[in-house]
Amino acid sequence: MIDYLWLIFRVLVFPGFTFILFLTMFCDWIERKIEARMQNRMGPSFTGPSGILQPLADFIKLLTKEEITPNESRKTIFRFAPFFAFSVLIFALCFLPIDGASVIPNVSFGGDLIFVMALISVANFLLFLSGWSSSNPYSSIGAARVLTQFLGYDIPLLMLALAPAFLAGSLTIATIVARQWIPFMVLAPWAFVLFIITMQAELEKDPFDIPHAESEVVAGHETEYSGGKLAFLKFARDVQIVFGASLVTVLFLGGANGPTFFGLPELWGTLWFVLKVVAVIVISEYMTVLFARLRIDQIVRANWKFMLPLSVLSLLLTIGLAVWVYPMV
Amino acid sequence: MTSNNLDILKALEAKNFQIQIGKLGTAAIQAPVDKHRDALKILLDLDEKTAVTAITGIDLGASVGVYYHVRTSNSFVTIQCEVPKDKPTLATITDLVPGAAFHELEVADLLGVVFEGHPSPGRLVLPDTWPEGVYPLRKDVKINEVKLNAPSSEDVKLSDESGLVKIVIGPHHPALLEPEKFAVLVDGETVKKVEPRIGYVHRGVEKASESKTYLQDVYLVERICGICNSCHATAFVEAVEKILKTDVPPRAKYIRTIILELNRLHSHLLTLGHAGLEIGYETLFQYFWRDREPVMDLTEMITGNRVISSSLTVGGVRRDIKETDIPKIKATLTELRKKIPFYKQMYENEPSIKMRMQKVGVLAREDALKLCVVGPVARGSGVDIDVRKDEPYEAYGEIPFKEVVYTAGDTWARMNVRMDEVEESINIIEYALDHLPSGAYRVKVPRVVPPGEAVNRVEAPRGELFYYVKSNGTAFPERVKVRTPTFANIPAFLKTAIGESIADVPPNFVSLDPCFSCTDR
Amino acid sequence: MVNITTWARVKSPWVLHFNSGACNGCDIEVVALLTPKYDVERFGIKLEPSPRHADVLLTTGCVTEQCAERLKRIYEQMPQPKFVVAIGACACSGGIFSGNYSVVGGVDKVIPVDAYIPGCPPRPEAIIDGVVKLLNSIQQPKTKEKVKSDDEQ
Repeated sequence: MIDYLWLIFRVLVFPGFTFILFLTMFCDWIERKIEARMQNRMGPSFTGPSGILQPLADFIKLLTKEEITPNESRKTIFRFAPFFAFSVLIFALCFLPIDGASVIPNVSFGGDLIFVMALISVANFLLFLSGWSSSNPYSSIGAARVLTQFLGYDIPLLMLALAPAFLAGSLTIATIVARQWIPFMVLAPWAFVLFIITMQAELEKDPFDIPHAESEVVAGHETEYSGGKLAFLKFARDVQIVFGASLVTVLFLGGANGPTFFGLPELWGTLWFVLKVVAVIVISEYMTVLFARLRIDQIVRANWKFMLPLSVLSLLLTIGLAVWVYPMV
Repeated sequence: MTSNNLDILKALEAKNFQIQIGKLGTAAIQAPVDKHRDALKILLDLDEKTAVTAITGIDLGASVGVYYHVRTSNSFVTIQCEVPKDKPTLATITDLVPGAAFHELEVADLLGVVFEGHPSPGRLVLPDTWPEGVYPLRKDVKINEVKLNAPSSEDVKLSDESGLVKIVIGPHHPALLEPEKFAVLVDGETVKKVEPRIGYVHRGVEKASESKTYLQDVYLVERICGICNSCHATAFVEAVEKILKTDVPPRAKYIRTIILELNRLHSHLLTLGHAGLEIGYETLFQYFWRDREPVMDLTEMITGNRVISSSLTVGGVRRDIKETDIPKIKATLTELRKKIPFYKQMYENEPSIKMRMQKVGVLAREDALKLCVVGPVARGSGVDIDVRKDEPYEAYGEIPFKEVVYTAGDTWARMNVRMDEVEESINIIEYALDHLPSGAYRVKVPRVVPPGEAVNRVEAPRGELFYYVKSNGTAFPERVKVRTPTFANIPAFLKTAIGESIADVPPNFVSLDPCFSCTDR
Repeated sequence: MVNITTWARVKSPWVLHFNSGACNGCDIEVVALLTPKYDVERFGIKLEPSPRHADVLLTTGCVTEQCAERLKRIYEQMPQPKFVVAIGACACSGGIFSGNYSVVGGVDKVIPVDAYIPGCPPRPEAIIDGVVKLLNSIQQPKTKEKVKSDDEQ
C-alpha cells in the first residue's frame, strides 16, 4: 500500500508531473529574463517577486479564455493535438532520471534512449498536426516548416546522441548517467557542442525558429488556437525546451550526479539536475538572442551540408576514442 | 548623358511646344492632348535620369487638367494637358515610363480620366464600397450625397486559377505596421507575382484640404504621415511661400533644416530597427530603438512634441531654438555618433545579417531608372538623386554634406545607405547649430494668398516628396496635390519580390521603407 | 477562484495592435512601448501576432471605409474576455479626418471601446497610463464580463 502511495507521489508530485510543471515555468521565466536583459530591458518584473509568477499568470489566463474552434478545421485533431503533444513530452520526461532514478520506478529498459528520441519525434509530429488541422494558410505553412525542420534534424540528433551511448557502452539512459564519473562533455566535447546546436534546431529556437517567424506566418501552427488549447500548446513547447535541456544534461553533463551532503541524496540529485538544466537553457537562450533568423532553405542546406557530415565524423571519432578510453571509464 | 536646361527647352521649342519659363518648376510646357507623349519622349531621349515625379489631376471647370511633372538631372518641368470632361481620355505613358502606372491609376480613380492602353486598370485608392462614376476630386461632387455600396462578404480565395497558392499579407499582419493587402502568389516557397491592393489608409486628405484654410492645412498635411511629418509641413509651406513670393529669414531656414534632419534621423533609426525585427533579430531592433529615444527627446526639446511637432508655419517657424539648448543638443548627438561604428560593424561582419540581407531584393539600375524610384531605394541601386543636392531648399545649399550612394541594389545596400545618412544627418545638424544666423525666425505674411500655383519638392527620409498647390485668391486652396515617396517606390517592390523565397519578402519589403499612410493619404 | 482568474487576467494582458487608418504617429509610440526605455513587458504585456491569442486590442487611427470590415472581423476573432483601447484623437473620434469622404469616424462607430486615450499622438507614458487604468477597472467587482459569445449574435 505504501508502495502504491509512494508511486503516485513520485509520478504526480515530485519529481513527476507537478515538479516538471513548476520546473518548466521556472525555465520559461529564466528565458524571458535573459532575453530581456540582453536587450537592455527588464522583462517581467511585477508578477510575484521579480516576475517569477509570470508564466503561471499566463497559463491561468489562457485557461480561462473562451475556446474557439474554427468551422473549417478538422475538429477532433484540432482539439486533441495540443494535449497529446503535452502528454507525450511529459511522458518522455518521466524516463529521465531526474533525481537519480527515473520518475516512474523501474521503468527503464535496455535501449530506452532510442525510445525517448522517438517520443520527441512523435511530439513534433503532433505539433505539425496541430497546425495542419487548423485549415489556415498561415498554420499550414508553419506546420510544413515544423515538419521539414524536425525531420531533417532528427538524423544528426540521433547520431550525436549515440556518442555518449558508445562511451558508456549501453543504450539505457540510467546506465549512461551512472557511468559518468567524468561528464561526457569533457570526454567528447565535439559531440556536446554539435548536440547543443542540433538541439537548438530541433527545438525551433533562433537562429532556427523559422516555424515561429512572426513576420511571415503570423503565429505559425499556433495561429488558430485560443484558450485552454493554446495554453497546452504553448506549454508543450516549453516542456519541449526543458526536455531538450534535460536530454543534454543526462547525456553529457552527468544527470543528477554531484556531491551530496546532509539529508536525502535524492534532493541533492534533483538540485544538481535542475542546476545543470538551467545552465543549458541559459546557453541556449544566449544563442537565441544573439542571432538573426535563417531562412528555411538555408536551414535545410545547413543540415545536409554541415550537420550531417559533422555528426557522422563525431560518431566515428567517439567510437575510436571509446575503444581506448573505455577502460578508463 | 546629361543635358542642361537650355538643351531641353531648345529641343521642345523646335517641335513647336509652347513653353513658359519659371512656371511650375523650371518650365511649364503646354501640350495638346495627343502630343504629350512626344514631349515626354524628347525629355527621355535627352537624359537618362528623366523620370516622372507625379501626375496631377485638377478640375478646371469644363475640363480636367492633367499635368505631368517630370524631373531630369538638373531641371524640373511640367507638361500640361487638358481633356474635356465629357470625353476624358488620354493615351497612357506607361510604355515609355513603367513607373507612371500608379500615378495614372490615381488620376483615373479620383478624377475620372481614362488612360487608354494602361496595362492593369482598376481601383487604386478609393474603397471597394465606393460607387462607380463618382469622382471625389471633381468640384461638382456633393460628398454628403454619395451612397456607398454594401460591403461584399466574399471570402478570400486561397488558390489562384493557375494552381499557385495565394498568401495574403495584410491588411492585418505582424510584418506591417499599417493595413494594406498584398496577395503573394507562391509556387512552393518561390514568389511568382505580387498583387497589391492599397487604399486602406485613404482618408481623403486632398479633398479635405480644399475646405480648410491654409494655416489649418499645415496641421492637416502634417498628419498625412506621423513619421515624416515635418517634411510634409515644409513642402506645403514652401509651396505657399512661393505663391506669396515671400522669403523666410535665414534663421528660420536653418531651424527648419535642423528639424528636418532630426526627422530623418528618427525615421532612419526606426527603419533600421524594423528591418532587424523582420529578419528575426529582435535584439538589433531593441538596440536601435533604444538609441532612437534621445532623438525624440531632442525633437521635444526644440519643438515641444515628440512626434508631430507642428513647428512650421507659413513665413518661418513657430518657436526659436534657445541658446541654452544648443550644448545639450550637441552632447546628445555626440553620444549618438559614438554608437554608429558598432552598428556599421554589425552590418559588415555579422553573418546572419549578411545571409538574410545580401542579394535579397536586388533592383538593377536600369529598373530603378525606369520605375522612377526615389530616395534610399534609388541611391542603393546606384542612382544618385537627392533633392537636397539637385534643387537645394532651406539651408541645404549652404551646408556641405555627402550624398550616399551604393551600387549593389540589394536590401543590404539600402540599409547601408540609411546608416550612412544617419551619420550625415548628425553632421548637418552640428554644422547648422554652429552656423545658426541671428535675427528673426518668422515674418508676417499677407492674410490672403493671391491666385497662383507652385510646385515644390523636399527630400523626405523615404525619398522625394512632391507638392503642387494652386490658390484661387480665396481663403481656401483650390487644389493641393501630394505625391509621396512610397507611392513611387511600391512598383519597385512588386518587381524585386518576384523569384525570391517567401521568407525574403518581409526584409525586402522593409528595405524600401514603406509608409502607407503617405501612399494613400 | 474568481480572484485568481482576475489576478491572472490583470497580470498577463496580451495585446494585439491594429492600425485601421492611422498616420503612423500613434503606431510608433505603441511600438516604442516595447523598447528598452518604456518596456511594458514588465507588466506582462506581450505583443501577440494573432487575434486569437490576444486579450486587448489596441487600435490606432480613424476607421476608413476600406478597413471597417477588417476591424470588425478582427474583433470577432478575439476570444472573450476582450477589451478595446482606442489610442489617439483619430481613434477616439475621427480626429482631424472626421467628415472626410472615405472615413467612417472613430473606432466606437464599429466596435465597442473600453478605454480612450486622447493625444496626437499620445506619449508612451500616456498609453501606459491608459492601459493601467483599464487593468485596474478589470479588477473592480463591476467588470464588464460579457457572457454571451459573439458567435451567437
